[in-house]
Amino acid sequence: MITHTVWTYIGYLVISVALTIWVARTLHKNGRIFLVDSFLGNEKLADSVNHLLVVGFYLINIGYVTLALKYGDRPSDLQQVLETLSTKIGFVLLVLGVMHFFNLYVFSKMRRRALLRGQPPPVIPQAHLGQPVVAS
Amino acid sequence: MKTLFVIYDSECGFCCRCRQWLAQQPAYLDLRFFQRNSPEVVCRFPGIEKLLRLDELLVVSDEGAVYRGAHAWVMCLYALREYREWASKLAHPSLLPFAWRAYELFSENRREFSRWMKLLPEEEIAKKIRQHSPPPVCSNERKP
Repeated sequence: MITHTVWTYIGYLVISVALTIWVARTLHKNGRIFLVDSFLGNEKLADSVNHLLVVGFYLINIGYVTLALKYGDRPSDLQQVLETLSTKIGFVLLVLGVMHFFNLYVFSKMRRRALLRGQPPPVIPQAHLGQPVVAS
Repeated sequence: MKTLFVIYDSECGFCCRCRQWLAQQPAYLDLRFFQRNSPEVVCRFPGIEKLLRLDELLVVSDEGAVYRGAHAWVMCLYALREYREWASKLAHPSLLPFAWRAYELFSENRREFSRWMKLLPEEEIAKKIRQHSPPPVCSNERKP
């Protein structure tokens, strides 16, 4: 017989995994443009890094969801089922939020680095030799 | 800009240590180092004699642009991968005067600072190594 606890677990797993997939797909779709810019238009490299980031995202989130499955109260009626489910999914959403902002931070850091590479000198020279210097 | 030539005071232990540190950092630009008292400097950088008299750190780009003092420090940071962002921050008009003041304060006391930190210039380190190295083994002392 399927108890309230088992229904809670099933609901928790379905909702959490669905949320994880939705966030990962959003990241994958919208993060690509950031990465292409960060890798100076190298689309192959950007796609590869994007894919690897999404794999890491799935591993961490699904890992957390499965680990946290058995923790929490054992519900005995429908009200407790909803409360437990809400608490557990709330934690998953917080983890997803932290991971999402971490990914955004990584993307923006990569982009900033790429912009730094092409940056002109930040100070003007105080003198000029009047001819280039040969680097031999 | 692909190369920066850093002309530093080889008689200052701290400057030599900074040179070593700069050479070890991953960089966007190729960094070449020259001792200020080396005769090669005048040959390689014609017209730099007047600036050498100022007793300051000099950085010359491969395009012939010369940066001195705190500007030279900023350019050294600009060349490094990990510190280019710092160079931009330091070059901001609100921070650059402080960088200049810090540079002047340090530059005037660099020899005393090196002594206090027990940082020896490269030539003195080489002299000490030569003093403590064993005498060379002569080939005619080998047994047949």
